[in-house]
Amino acid sequence: MTNRWRRHWRRGTFLPYLLLAPAVVLLAGMIYPFGLGVYYSLTSYWLQYPNRFRFVWFDNYVDLLEEPLFVRALEFTLGFTVVAVVLQVGLGLAVALFLHARIPGRAAIRALMLMPLMIPPVITALMWKIMMASTNAGILNYALSFLGIGPINWFGSTQGAIVSVLVIDTWGNLPFVALILLGGLQALPTEPYEAARVDGAGPIAMLRYVTLPLLSPFIVLAVTFRAMDSLRIFDVIYATTTGGPNDATTNLQIMAYQYSFQWYQMGKGMAQAIVLLLLVVMVSYLLMRLWNRASESVQ
Amino acid sequence: MHTRRQWLSGALLAALFMTGGWPEARAQDDQALAYYRQAKIDWRQAEGQSLTIGLNKHPFTESLLPLIPQFRKLTGINIEYLILPENEYFTKLVADLSQQRGEFSVIMTGPMRNWQYVPPGWILPLDDFLDNPKLTDRDWFKLDDFYPALIAANRWNGKTGGGVGEGPLYSIPVLEESYILAYRKDIFDQYNIKVPTTLEEMAEAARQVKKNAGIPGIVARGTPALGTVATGFISGLKAITEGKWGELDDKLNANLHDPRSVKYTEAWVAMVRESGPPNWANMQWYDAMEAFTAGQGGMIVDADFFAANYEDPKKSKVAGKVGYALVPGAVSGKPYAGLWTWALGISKATKNKEAAWLFIQWATAQQTLLNATIGYRNYNPSRISVTKDPRVQEIMGVWGGGSYLKVVAQNLETARVAWIPQPERTRLGDIWARALHEVYFQRMTAADALKKASGEVDKVLKEAGIK
Amino acid sequence: MKTPGTTYQMTVRHVVIALASALLLVWTVFPFVWILLTSLKSPTDILSVPPTFTFTPTIDNYAALVVGEQRGQYSSTRPDFPRFFLNSIIVSIGAVALSVAAGIPAAYALARFKFPGRDTLAFVLLSFRFVPFIAFVIPLYILYQRFGLYNTHAGLILAYQLITLPFTVWMLRSFFMEIPLEIQEAAKIDGCSWLGVLGRVILPLSAPGIAVTVILGFMFCWNAFNYPLMLAGRQTFPVTVGAIQFISYEQVLWGQMAAATIVAAVPQLLLSLMVQKYIVRGLTMGAVK
Repeated sequence: MTNRWRRHWRRGTFLPYLLLAPAVVLLAGMIYPFGLGVYYSLTSYWLQYPNRFRFVWFDNYVDLLEEPLFVRALEFTLGFTVVAVVLQVGLGLAVALFLHARIPGRAAIRALMLMPLMIPPVITALMWKIMMASTNAGILNYALSFLGIGPINWFGSTQGAIVSVLVIDTWGNLPFVALILLGGLQALPTEPYEAARVDGAGPIAMLRYVTLPLLSPFIVLAVTFRAMDSLRIFDVIYATTTGGPNDATTNLQIMAYQYSFQWYQMGKGMAQAIVLLLLVVMVSYLLMRLWNRASESVQ
Repeated sequence: MHTRRQWLSGALLAALFMTGGWPEARAQDDQALAYYRQAKIDWRQAEGQSLTIGLNKHPFTESLLPLIPQFRKLTGINIEYLILPENEYFTKLVADLSQQRGEFSVIMTGPMRNWQYVPPGWILPLDDFLDNPKLTDRDWFKLDDFYPALIAANRWNGKTGGGVGEGPLYSIPVLEESYILAYRKDIFDQYNIKVPTTLEEMAEAARQVKKNAGIPGIVARGTPALGTVATGFISGLKAITEGKWGELDDKLNANLHDPRSVKYTEAWVAMVRESGPPNWANMQWYDAMEAFTAGQGGMIVDADFFAANYEDPKKSKVAGKVGYALVPGAVSGKPYAGLWTWALGISKATKNKEAAWLFIQWATAQQTLLNATIGYRNYNPSRISVTKDPRVQEIMGVWGGGSYLKVVAQNLETARVAWIPQPERTRLGDIWARALHEVYFQRMTAADALKKASGEVDKVLKEAGIK
Repeated sequence: MKTPGTTYQMTVRHVVIALASALLLVWTVFPFVWILLTSLKSPTDILSVPPTFTFTPTIDNYAALVVGEQRGQYSSTRPDFPRFFLNSIIVSIGAVALSVAAGIPAAYALARFKFPGRDTLAFVLLSFRFVPFIAFVIPLYILYQRFGLYNTHAGLILAYQLITLPFTVWMLRSFFMEIPLEIQEAAKIDGCSWLGVLGRVILPLSAPGIAVTVILGFMFCWNAFNYPLMLAGRQTFPVTVGAIQFISYEQVLWGQMAAATIVAAVPQLLLSLMVQKYIVRGLTMGAVK
C-alpha cells in the first residue's frame, strides 16, 4: 500500500465504504437480471415465437407512446398516487398524533393497528372483494344500509372500482404510515417542546412550529414510500378488478403484467416496466431531495 | 358435548400441526394396484426416474394426490408436483416451457392451449406412445372409451386457421366441459316463465325473473378477460349462427365486427344491463357461479359441470330447484356450444419421456378417472364408461330431475371447440371482452367497439407473424 | 399536564376521544374479524344473503389445512400448508436478519459520515426497491434456473433483499440521525471507536426504531407474492402462494382460505406483541435522557 492509502486507512476514510459494502454486494447481484430485463425491452422477445426474436432498439418504447391505453394508464397511475398519498399520509399523521397522546387503551390500539399489515395484499383484496359485494349480500353494503345509504356498486362501476381500490389500499397501508410517524414522534427530543411551553405556546402552535418541522423527515419518508408503492400498486388491483372495469383501474404495472404474463409479449412488457421505473425514479429523486432538505433543517 | 369434542379435536389438530405429522394412510395398495397390473406392459420399465408434474388446481388433480404413493409402488417412479390456480399455473407453465429446461414433465393443458405450445414445439405428440406396445396396452387402456369429440378436440395438425380433429393427439382428456343453460325451475314455474329458446326469449325471461322474484334475471362472467366471452357468450353466438360464424375469416382477418356478431352483442349486453347483476363487469367465473348457487340469479349460461355445485345440498340454496336446457338460440336443437377439456400432455424438454407417458396412462386409466369422479367430484367425465357407471348415474341422474344428463348428452352431439386455431386465442378473447365493456358502459356502440377490436386483433396477428 | 376547563368540556373531550378510538378500532379490526368469522363458517353460511353473524361454527376449515380434507375425504399425502408455513418463517426471518446485518452498518455510514458519493449511493440503494417486479421476475427466473437457485430458500432470501434491504437501510438511517450528536461526541471523548459508538450509543437508543423496522420488514417478506410465485416451487412456496391454492377450478374454498389467512397471521401477531415492549422501553429511555 502506498503512503497515501495508508494514511487514508488510518484516518478511516474507507470506513463508510466498508460499512456499506455488504449491502451494496447483496444488491449488486440484482443488477445482472435487471440488465437482462432492459435488454429484453429492446427486443421483440415474445415467448411462444422464439424464432421471431430480434433486436428492435427503441421500437417498443415508441409503440407505447402511440398506444391509447398507455395514456389512460399513465393518467390513472399518477392520479391515483396523488390521491392515495395525500389521503394515507394525512390520515396516518392524524392517527399517529392521536396514538401519541395520552389516551386510555392506546397500547392495545397500537398493537391492533398492525393487523392490516399481517394479511398479504392478495388475500386482503380478495376478502374485501367479498365484503364489498354490490348488493346487500356484501357486509359493507349491508352495514351501510342501516345508515340509509343505498347499495353501492363497488366494483361494477368505473368510479366505484377506483374508490374501492383506494379504500382497500388505504386500509392495508394506513398502519404503515401511522407506525413510521409514531416512531418518529416518539424519537423526537423533548427540549424544543419545553422551550415552546416556556414561551407560552398552545397545542396547535406546538403542532405547527415544533412537531411538524421536527417530524418532517419522517413525513417525507412516509410520503416517499407510499408514493413509490402507489405508483406501482398491483396486488390489490389484480385480485379485485384486474384493471377494469373498462380499463378504469389499469395502471402501468397492470399493463406491463398483462403484456408480460398474460400475453407473453416480453419485449413490450419490459419496456412498459422500464417506463414505469423511470417515472418512479423521477418522483423518488424529487422526494429524496426534499428529504435531504428536511433532515438537514432538523439537525 | 358437541362443541367440547370439537375443541378437543381442535387441540389435537393443533398439536399435530406443530409436529407436522399425520400417519400415512395404509391404503389397500395391492388390491388397488391389481387393476393396473392387468395391463400387459412392464410398469417398472422407467424405475428410479423422477417426474415433476405441473397441475392446475382442480378436482382431478386432487384425486390424484392421494394415489401418488400407489403409483410409486407400481412403477418405482418418483413424483413431484406443483399445483396452482389456473391463471398462476399458466404463467409458470409457459415460463418453463419457453425456457425448455424441463422443470415440468407432465403438464395439464387443453385444446386451445396446445395451439400455443405446438408451433414452437414445446409438447410431444402422444401417438407414438400409444402405438408402442411396450409402453401401452391399448386393449386395457381403451382409447375409444373416451368421448370421440374430446379426443378429436385434442388433435391438431398444426395449421393455423383449422385442422382441429386431425393430426397428432397432443393430450389425453380428463374431463369434459361444455356450456348449457341452467335456470331456476321453481321461479320459472311459479311465474309461468317460458324456458327460452332464443335470445329474445331469454331477455324476456330475465326481465320477468327480475320483476317477479327481485333477483338478477341472468348472471354471467363479466371481467375484461377471455373467460367472459369463452363460455356462454360465444356458445350463444355459435348457436344463432349454426356454428358458421368464426372470429376469424378464412383469410385470418378478425371478424368480430360481422353484422351477426354485432346484433348478438347488442342484444346480449342490453339484456345484461337491464336484468343482470350490478357488478357484472367484475364477475369472475366463481362470482357468477356462486351467485346462482346462492339463489341470486335466474339463469346462467356457463360450464355444464357447475351443476355439481348447484345441486350440492351442503352449500347450495338452489339444490333441486334447477332446470337445464340447451343454449338459447340453438336452431333446430343444435347449439354448437363450445367445448373444453383439461388434458394431460408431455413437455418436449423432459428427460424422462417414457416415465411421463406411464404416468399419463395411469392417471387417465378407467379406474383412476372413475375414482376421480365418484370420490372427488371430477365432472363431467371424459370416459363413456365412467358416465355410465351406476354410481355416477346415481349422483348425476338426479340433477335437474334427470334433465341434466339428457341435455348434456344432446349438447355433446354438436359441441365442438368454438375457436379457430391460432396461438393468440387468449389475446383475442381479452380484446373481445374489453370491447364488451365499451358497449356495456356505453362508451361505444357495439358496431364501433367490435370494429376497433377486430383492428386490434389484426394488429396482434400481424405482429406475431401469424398473418 | 392537566387541561383546564369545566367538567363538561372534559366529558365532551372524553366522548370524542372514545368515539375516535372506537372508529379507528372498528375500521382497522373489522375486516380481520370478518375473515375470522368466515373461517369458522360452513360453505352455505359463507354464501348466504344477507350475511350472517349468527351461525353454528365449525373447525372443518382449519382441519382441512392440517389434514388435507377437501372433499370430505382424507388425503393420505401430507398436506402442504404446514410446509408453506415453515417456508414463510424460514425465508422471512432469513431475509430480515440478512437485511438488518447488512443494513445497520450501511445506515450508520449514511447517517454519520460525510463522504463523496454518499447521496448518490443512498438514492441508488433506495431505487432498488422501486423497480417494478415485472422487470426483475422473468430475468431472475431464467438466471435462478441456470444457477440452481430456483426453488431454494437461499434464492428466495436473496430475492427478498430487493424488498427489505433498501427499506431497512433508509428507516435505520432516519432513526440513527435522530440521535443527538452530543451523545455521540461524548462517547467518542470517552474513548469509543466507531464500533463502540455504534454498539453502546446508537443501537440502544434507536431500539424502538429497529424494532419497528424489523416488524415491518418481516411483514413485507411474509406477504410477498409475486417473487415466490415465479422463483419457488412446491417445496419452497410460502403461505401467500399457498393461500391462493384454495381457488380451484370449479369452486373457491373461501372458508379454508380464510382459515389459512388467520393461521398465517399468527406469527406476525406474536412478533408484534413481543416487540411492543421494546417500543415502550424506548419511550422511557428517551425520557431519562
